[in-house]
Amino acid sequence: MDLYKFLPKTNCKKCNPKTCMAFALALLQGKVKIEDCPPLLEPKYKKQYDTLKELIGSEEGQEKELQINVDTDLCDGCGICVTVCPVNARYCPPTLSGKVPDFPPDNHQLFQVKQGKCELLHIKYCRRIEAEGRERECRVCETYCPREAIKIEYA
Amino acid sequence: MKRVPCSGCSLLCDDIIIRSDGIFIDEVVGACIKGKEHFDHVTAKNRIINPMFREENNLKKIDWNQGYNTAIELMRKAKKPLLYGFSTVSCEAQLKGIQLAEKINGHIDSNSSICHGKVIEKAKSVGLTLTSIGEVINKADLIILWGANAAESIPRLLNKALFSRGKFRMTGREIKTLIIIDPVQTASFGVMGVRDISLMIQPNKDIDLIRTLKEECCVADSIPTEGVAGLDKDDLKRLLLQLTGAEYGVIFAGQGLLKPSDDSTTLQEFLELIEMINSKQEKGRISLIMMGGHYNMTGFEHVALANYGQNGSLNFVNNQLEENKTNTIDKISKGDFDLSIIVGTDPISHLPANLSSKLMKHPIIVIDNKRSATSDVADLFLPSAITGIESGGLAYRLDHVPIELQKIINPPNNIPSDEEILNELLQRLTSGGP
Repeated sequence: MDLYKFLPKTNCKKCNPKTCMAFALALLQGKVKIEDCPPLLEPKYKKQYDTLKELIGSEEGQEKELQINVDTDLCDGCGICVTVCPVNARYCPPTLSGKVPDFPPDNHQLFQVKQGKCELLHIKYCRRIEAEGRERECRVCETYCPREAIKIEYA
Repeated sequence: MKRVPCSGCSLLCDDIIIRSDGIFIDEVVGACIKGKEHFDHVTAKNRIINPMFREENNLKKIDWNQGYNTAIELMRKAKKPLLYGFSTVSCEAQLKGIQLAEKINGHIDSNSSICHGKVIEKAKSVGLTLTSIGEVINKADLIILWGANAAESIPRLLNKALFSRGKFRMTGREIKTLIIIDPVQTASFGVMGVRDISLMIQPNKDIDLIRTLKEECCVADSIPTEGVAGLDKDDLKRLLLQLTGAEYGVIFAGQGLLKPSDDSTTLQEFLELIEMINSKQEKGRISLIMMGGHYNMTGFEHVALANYGQNGSLNFVNNQLEENKTNTIDKISKGDFDLSIIVGTDPISHLPANLSSKLMKHPIIVIDNKRSATSDVADLFLPSAITGIESGGLAYRLDHVPIELQKIINPPNNIPSDEEILNELLQRLTSGGP
């Protein structure tokens, strides 16, 4: 609703979803961009355009770079991130102790526990960058870390 | 570069990768912070690598021959020696320890007598449904932590039990339900998901919950009418549904369940509850794993039970095993001993102050690889090699599965292992020596 407030609310039917309410929803889901609304680009709506740009920027952060920060002071090397990460699981051979990462690690592996602390190897294979659709919203490592040592941020 | 078992805690993870040049350990991959510290201990600054003897209130360096002779002198003088510990040594050393106790007419006990040894004692009459970590990984769909903070005590346990993608549980965490029964919000609560149940029980009220569950289990499809021990009836209903509906449940019971004041009845009823659920259930079962801390606590029970027919508190009189009911804590509180031989543990800092002060009234011999509060007050300290790093041996994992520990590097100063020290003492006592 916050986004809808800043749209022109004219229902001019110049954009793809046709109405301003539908456009606001599509904007929230990331299906359309602010520039897809022609009236917003007019000088009349300059202020609203800037506010929207700010709102979308803070909520989505598409252009900002993904960072997975591991606090090594908090981490106790339990390896839950290694096991729970769906990308890691693809490259871990199953053993009697469940799926365990191989050593030396595979080139696509994301996490590894070394010297009792979690280590981030290749962030570029993270689902938040590689995957499509709902899989992109993956936050398992952050959710299940019992020490809350992992933080997913955009900076 | 090789895979070795880690003897840092009772989980004995066998997937640790070590890079070593045969002299030092350069890199440890896969181990948690506890395991890493354990491997680091080889080169710890405060490690004592020479036998020490107390003279005029100061610990002084002596050689090994003097060390053995002093130990034997102290043992010969003693009428009622007390041997305690043996939970961080190999099974071979534990057997030697019991033989030594037999030789010197001592009372021998491991840490398990104040830990999960009570469960083994109760299980003899009630029964115990055992399982292994491998089975938990591959089949379990319900994990219960009862009075246990696995995330801090055994860091990799939740990783293996709850998050691993096993053979019949390919989706891992998503298919498994976690229930935590604990009076305090521990670090383990951090891994809770939406479907999981957290039950904040009142302290020392486990017995009430167990009794209620037993009553409800007797009646099919019953609905609890009122809450118990700080839990409301909805919580109880959800717990009952999970307990009776799980395909393969496992209860990890920690110190929290063992500590209530009337622990013998609690454990009896707890084991009866598990048996009751299993007899009612048609498609699944619930099993129990006791979470001991020291890596070979379970081993002492197996060694003692196999060789002497008693799982703890072995008392020898006239070189014969005597039937007795007193445990080590009773002995210490009554002051019924005149020498204590502590192997691989630290009772001065583990036991309450009134007990540890009684322990300090008599001479103490410590055989350990670490410097601890007990080694600081000891009259004789014999350093030993770290089992699992500097010497091999057999150890029992917390689920009663034996794991062969490996020797990776040589100990500094050629320190003998626990087994070698105890064997040497036994042989010198037998041969009559000085």
